Amino acid sequence: MQTVFSIAVDALAYGMVLFVISIGLSVTMGLMRVVNLAHGAFAMIGGYIASYAARDLGLGYGLAVLLAVFGTIVIAVPIERLLYRRIYGAPELTQVLMTIGITFCIIGIANYAFGPTLKTIPLPPGLEGSVDLGFRSIATHRIFAILCGLSVAAALWYLIERTGFGVKLRAAVDDAAMAAALGVRTEIVYAVSFAVAVGLAALGGVVGAELLPVEPYYALRYMVTFLVVVSVGGAGSISGALIACLLLGGIDTAGRYLVPEFGEFFFYLAVIAIVCVFPRGLAGRIR
Amino acid sequence: MTMVTMNDALEGSHRKGRKFGRDLAGLAVILGLAVVGYLLFPNNLALLTRMTAIALLVLSLDLVTGYCGVATLGHAALFGSGAYAAGIAAVHFGLTDPLLMLGCGILGGALAGLVCGLVILRAHGLPQLVLSIALIHLFHEFANKASSWTGGSDGLAGIAPDPLLGYFEFDLWGRTAYVFGIVLLAGVFTLLRRIVRSPFGMLCRGIKEDPIRIRAMGASPKLALMKMYAISGAVAGTGGALNAISTQVVGLDSLSFTLSAESLVMLVLGGTGSLFGALTGTIVFMFFEDIVSAANPFHWLTMVGVLLVAVVLFAPKGLYGTVVGLAMRWREARR
Amino acid sequence: MKRTIIAALAALTIGGAAQADTIKIGVIGPFSGPFALQGKNFKAGIDAYMALNGSKVGDDDIEVIYRDVPQPDPAQSKALAQELVVKEGVQYLAGFYFTPDAMAVTPLLEQANVPLVIMNAATSAIVTKSPLVVRTSFTLWQTSTPIAKVAKDAGVSKVISVVSDYGPGVDAENAFKTGFEAAGGQIVEAIRMPLATNDFSPIMQRIKDSGAEGVFAFLPSGPTTLGFVKAFNENGLKDAGIKFFAPGDLTQESDLPALGDAALGIQTTFHYAVSHDSPENKTFVEAAGKAIGNPAELSFPSVGAYDGMHVVYKMIEATGGEQDAQKAVDAVKGLAWTSPRGPVSIDPESRHITQNIYLREVTKAEDGSYYNKEITTFEKQGDPGLAALK
Repeated sequence: MQTVFSIAVDALAYGMVLFVISIGLSVTMGLMRVVNLAHGAFAMIGGYIASYAARDLGLGYGLAVLLAVFGTIVIAVPIERLLYRRIYGAPELTQVLMTIGITFCIIGIANYAFGPTLKTIPLPPGLEGSVDLGFRSIATHRIFAILCGLSVAAALWYLIERTGFGVKLRAAVDDAAMAAALGVRTEIVYAVSFAVAVGLAALGGVVGAELLPVEPYYALRYMVTFLVVVSVGGAGSISGALIACLLLGGIDTAGRYLVPEFGEFFFYLAVIAIVCVFPRGLAGRIR
Repeated sequence: MTMVTMNDALEGSHRKGRKFGRDLAGLAVILGLAVVGYLLFPNNLALLTRMTAIALLVLSLDLVTGYCGVATLGHAALFGSGAYAAGIAAVHFGLTDPLLMLGCGILGGALAGLVCGLVILRAHGLPQLVLSIALIHLFHEFANKASSWTGGSDGLAGIAPDPLLGYFEFDLWGRTAYVFGIVLLAGVFTLLRRIVRSPFGMLCRGIKEDPIRIRAMGASPKLALMKMYAISGAVAGTGGALNAISTQVVGLDSLSFTLSAESLVMLVLGGTGSLFGALTGTIVFMFFEDIVSAANPFHWLTMVGVLLVAVVLFAPKGLYGTVVGLAMRWREARR
Repeated sequence: MKRTIIAALAALTIGGAAQADTIKIGVIGPFSGPFALQGKNFKAGIDAYMALNGSKVGDDDIEVIYRDVPQPDPAQSKALAQELVVKEGVQYLAGFYFTPDAMAVTPLLEQANVPLVIMNAATSAIVTKSPLVVRTSFTLWQTSTPIAKVAKDAGVSKVISVVSDYGPGVDAENAFKTGFEAAGGQIVEAIRMPLATNDFSPIMQRIKDSGAEGVFAFLPSGPTTLGFVKAFNENGLKDAGIKFFAPGDLTQESDLPALGDAALGIQTTFHYAVSHDSPENKTFVEAAGKAIGNPAELSFPSVGAYDGMHVVYKMIEATGGEQDAQKAVDAVKGLAWTSPRGPVSIDPESRHITQNIYLREVTKAEDGSYYNKEITTFEKQGDPGLAALK
């Protein structure tokens, strides 16, 4: 019984870290219809900025997180204007080519500018160490990651479902031409959504850095994981992404505990099974 | 989508009798390029041979992605299966005749194609992409686990192919391997041009455009796609076997996500839905990579990234597709 | 006879290497991609050697040509080696971070008449694949065997082994197991985890449940190491008094700043610590630190490369610049010198390096940085892995 609880706690923590990083990708892929393989690269930029701010400039953790999110947005907005705008509505494969190209460039630049070593983001004293749950201990920063995940999910849900901007965004997604005809400035809507997605990526990169350390190859190393999680959940759905992260986190954690030798098999077989049962993503059925 | 219509238009503008001529022209282009490559880089045949093997992989990917509209990031599974089949036949069963190894590779690739087709064709679009990613990881992990057969992460070494036809040795200078590869590529290319133009090939294109209508016509899209997947597997397996024979080692990288993604990048770079596009993409990408990585082994990745972005911006239909488009526009303007 | 004629013809067509006054060395390694740090260390070691010993041997200029294989890719590695030999006319091949890449090149050597000096790839079997291979790095058997004795001496008798599921991981597991069981210890469980493991908490739970008093771990150096060590501490294993043993890949110097306090007290055995106290090492660290730019990035592949260059220089001296692979390799058999890592020699039998293995513990220096502090020396260790092959 204790083992089950223990696995559940680990799964929850891992799943929420995945969620924080990949929810931004869900926004770009589901709402903006861009297969953005450079998502991990933006998460990585966030990690680098936070690391630089906290370690080299000695700023506080909170300030570093803010700097990372806004710094990444500032870097990403010109990229959106110059490059992404050309591939809205283009065939998926073209988008793949463009975003992989961008990823290569960012990796190369990060390697050149910061060197190939690992970069850490020092945690504030409050998040260091671990908390005793009675039957086991868990790292405090993981609890922080869980809370971050929950608040991000709630905030996004509110933004999309309850605000005027959300209405415009959904309208632009459903029929961009019609929305534009009705006076929605789709360009701005897209730019803002892109900024939100990138900001979330940066936040995830920082919060998840304890689990997925920041280094130049980060952008490609975890790209597949993010892509799988988002697609299994059903791109564009917050609840779907949440369920997918928890489910896949659970399967991954249980697999690694019970049969570590075959951990990969376990995970990818589960992915195949889920996709075959829910071809439109988990959220496709639940709705 | 745009590629196919363009291609159709292009082929429609030719009379039936001239198609055979175009086949010959295609063959001539490959052989011509092969001779030019040999004359220009007589000391770098290993790279050219590797390019030939990868070109077979990209052609095979084009069959399912360009002609059938299947999105896959796991196509190296077919290539690697062919390579391992050829390698295992040589190392564990003593089948060291290159032609026999080639046969094993083709068979291995086709089988892997059937397995992959069974799984990948169960979904469409993004979920399909995810299925292919899961598959390539499963293949990779399986090869890693079966290390007594595959050598695991150390690679399957000790492949020693006999001289080709009992006379031509696979040596340091790699002439035999190169000529062998070019002959294979030319043969496969000619065959594929026939296949994609056959009624079966047209059926596959139809499925890409509108599977429901095809079903209404009484044909089974699933069956046709499975068939195409097996053919694609045989082609990729040929490439894999060529790689195993010419390098005499098979590594886990031949079953990797990286190789799958790279081959897709090459295909899109050249232009999907056209065999020439697949060839163009492979040649341009690999030459570019070779040149920039030799010029600066430390920071060449940025240059490759810039190339990809530039192609999307300035040649959105892929290099070959865009050139053909320009040529057509020019011809139309002359009329 | 036919071979020598071909070789001679090759030498002629390449441009008469015998009279040429530039001798080229082709180095293949991971200079970009996820292992770029290790490739950078290759270059730093090579640059340091050439800065200290000049870029000339006798009258001949030495030129190093780099080729990049970012990830294990034997086909690419072989194609590049062929290109280096045939097109660039290199007389020596060197480098190689990954085992399969080196394995792919061994069949070429005899025909190309080129010796191969391995600067890292650490599977025992490589040197048996061709008589023209010399290795100046280490093998996992070599570095992992002494730690078994350390563990037993520390009073630990039940150990759980946790390794990444690929060639080197399996080697490390076998080496430790053999050594530890010979010393009378017991391996309670041996876990092989997939290379692409991000979250190590479940593994830690497994370790806790196994009831072992110590853990032996091997993971490739880099990001996974960081996750593993952090998870070890955060899941309370360190506080529970479970001892941590590993070969030195886990605490390579370039990862230590990222690991920070989490790594304190971890004991590893390895052939080289950047902190090694000797005049040779001081000179080396200074030169290599300058070559790499940021001295904090210096790590073990640099010393493998440095000594590899030493071996190549000796080969060139012995052959007087002529291209004769067998003579070159014969010349360095039994060669002994003082490397930055301590006294070393090339075993004439296996052509692998015999060297001291050090027990080290991660310690915090006065200036707040972390280093591997050498505690015990196991002198003149050969490669036990070769014996295990037979």
